[in-house]
Amino acid sequence: MAFRINRRTALTGVAALAAFPAAAQDKKVIVGTWGGDYSRLLTKNITPLVKGFEVVHSEEQADPRKAKMMAEKVLRRGTSDVQGLSANDMYEMDQQGLVEQLDYSKMPNAVNLIPSMKYAYGIGHIYSGKVVLYNPDMMKAPEGFADTLDPKHGNKLGIIDIQRQYNMVAAALASGGSVSNFEPGKERLIACRKAGARIYPSNEAFAQALKTGEIACGIMWKARAVQWQNAGIKVETVAPKEGVPMYVSGFVMPKNAPSKEGGYAWLNAMMAASAQENFAIDMGYNPTVTNAKVAPDLQKRIGFSDEEKKRLVDLDYGYMGKNDVAFQDWWNKSFKA
Amino acid sequence: MTDAVVRDPGPARPPPSYGGGAQAEGGSRSSSLTATVLIGPATIFIALCLLAPLAILLRYSLNDFEPSRKMMVEAVTVANYVKFFTDPYYTTILGTTVRIAVTVTLACLIIGFPLAYVVARSQSRFKHLLIIAIVLPLFVGNAVRAAGWMVVFGSKGFFNSTLLDLGLIAQPFEIMFTEKAVIIGIIAVNLPFMVLSLQSVIEGIDRAVEEAAFSLGAPPLTMFRRVLWPLALPGILAGTILCFILAMNAYATPFLLGGPLFKMMAPVIYNEFTQKTNWPFGGAIAFILMAVTLSLTIAANILLQRRAAR
Repeated sequence: MAFRINRRTALTGVAALAAFPAAAQDKKVIVGTWGGDYSRLLTKNITPLVKGFEVVHSEEQADPRKAKMMAEKVLRRGTSDVQGLSANDMYEMDQQGLVEQLDYSKMPNAVNLIPSMKYAYGIGHIYSGKVVLYNPDMMKAPEGFADTLDPKHGNKLGIIDIQRQYNMVAAALASGGSVSNFEPGKERLIACRKAGARIYPSNEAFAQALKTGEIACGIMWKARAVQWQNAGIKVETVAPKEGVPMYVSGFVMPKNAPSKEGGYAWLNAMMAASAQENFAIDMGYNPTVTNAKVAPDLQKRIGFSDEEKKRLVDLDYGYMGKNDVAFQDWWNKSFKA
Repeated sequence: MTDAVVRDPGPARPPPSYGGGAQAEGGSRSSSLTATVLIGPATIFIALCLLAPLAILLRYSLNDFEPSRKMMVEAVTVANYVKFFTDPYYTTILGTTVRIAVTVTLACLIIGFPLAYVVARSQSRFKHLLIIAIVLPLFVGNAVRAAGWMVVFGSKGFFNSTLLDLGLIAQPFEIMFTEKAVIIGIIAVNLPFMVLSLQSVIEGIDRAVEEAAFSLGAPPLTMFRRVLWPLALPGILAGTILCFILAMNAYATPFLLGGPLFKMMAPVIYNEFTQKTNWPFGGAIAFILMAVTLSLTIAANILLQRRAAR
């Protein structure tokens, strides 16, 4: 049997070849996310629920992913379909005009979303609160941020560098400031630093220091404390009396997402009750959908009492975004000097 | 075959005495065409992948930045360069970077020279294994190597645990997140480059010239200073330039081993681009780093060659 290749068959072949990668790419959904545990748990709890799309994770810290979104602004097709960011970063990306205004009718699971987690430009995936962490073998329970961010702890106080914004919020709340005024907290942070407070580059390095007894206290999300307790680290939490700053982690869809259909499918799976329940079990974060069932004992550890819930404070994302560069400069040049 | 490889077919060959000018011109045209074809791909690659982005970055570095909106604003200003040189925070970081790079380069030269000499003069049938052992660290990425050092340097890491268990120290040494850790880390990264540069040159130095110096009564140090050092100078220059440039631009090691309080230029540039999204200032710092590295390298090169010529 002889094959004859004429102009038409050649063109058909070329068209098929050209169409194949495009089609294959359209059936993928690219998820920009942090690496480590978070990415692993997204794969475990959400990927199996995304039908009809291959889920690919693009792992990086939030800042490089934000920079990439900005660099890709002029491109018709970006390189990610959804991006995992903190509520503050989601707000900032929206202000930059980089993210899609979401059509909630395309996500059936969104009917169960807690209203405060429903942003026009993004969806809250999980939330926790910034609390005080301490080692009960090394010190008695502090009452709040003022009692923790105190020079009296010397080098037994640990401060996480990448939690700069939350450290500044906590110091502000401890010093008569507010989520819209960080200035009063600066002096307190400098005093702690001068007294020998240790600064750690990552959450994991902070956890390691807690484990080895290098430090006795610090501030961190309650969810991480639960995760570290599960890992055998001796650590207890206190919901600070000055207020519990909320940490919301969510997802946005870049305006130039190559597969918006895939992005919506992934976001819908993210809001499935089972995915949210498993995240509460695995990572200690509170679900953002009302139909997720969390066991009472787990709820007691990861959640907040009614009294504590009254102290939950959302951040002023506008204020933080507007002053972020100035705060970074202060943090690097004055606090870490 | 060997003859064909060794023979120089280039323009240095005297023109043939027969055939006249037209043929000579044709040969020259053909060899310049060959040269164009040979250097073309590399030139295009460099132009597209290095010079074009550099030109864009240079243009960005002259732009303005609006901090409250984190937006680059079109302008033509040298404000970013002025800001760098008038802010002690940044000039201190530049000073630290140069100091670390010089320290690391000198350390690599001092540690690397004897090692390179031994390898070069070795007649052992296991010589190739020695060379592989030197190159082996390059098989592992910088970040992975830094992670290994983190395990060694931690307050309960291998180093401190061993000393504590042996009762040699009562309190662990603070190595992690210090300048010491960064220096040790960068030396470990750069040393193979220095050793390989030196070893290849020392191998080309005839052993007989060293023996001649000894036979004329020169003690080892004099032989080293008057014979070996000048002859090995091309390798020393290549090795030090390579080490210095790598140390000036080190990113992963200072970032991972230096911790939040230790600053070198490359992590600061990354921070300006990614955290502050201040591309104009990040671009300006990148060009300043490039200019300083280039200037110091050229200056050191000239200085060393002049001293050798004396």
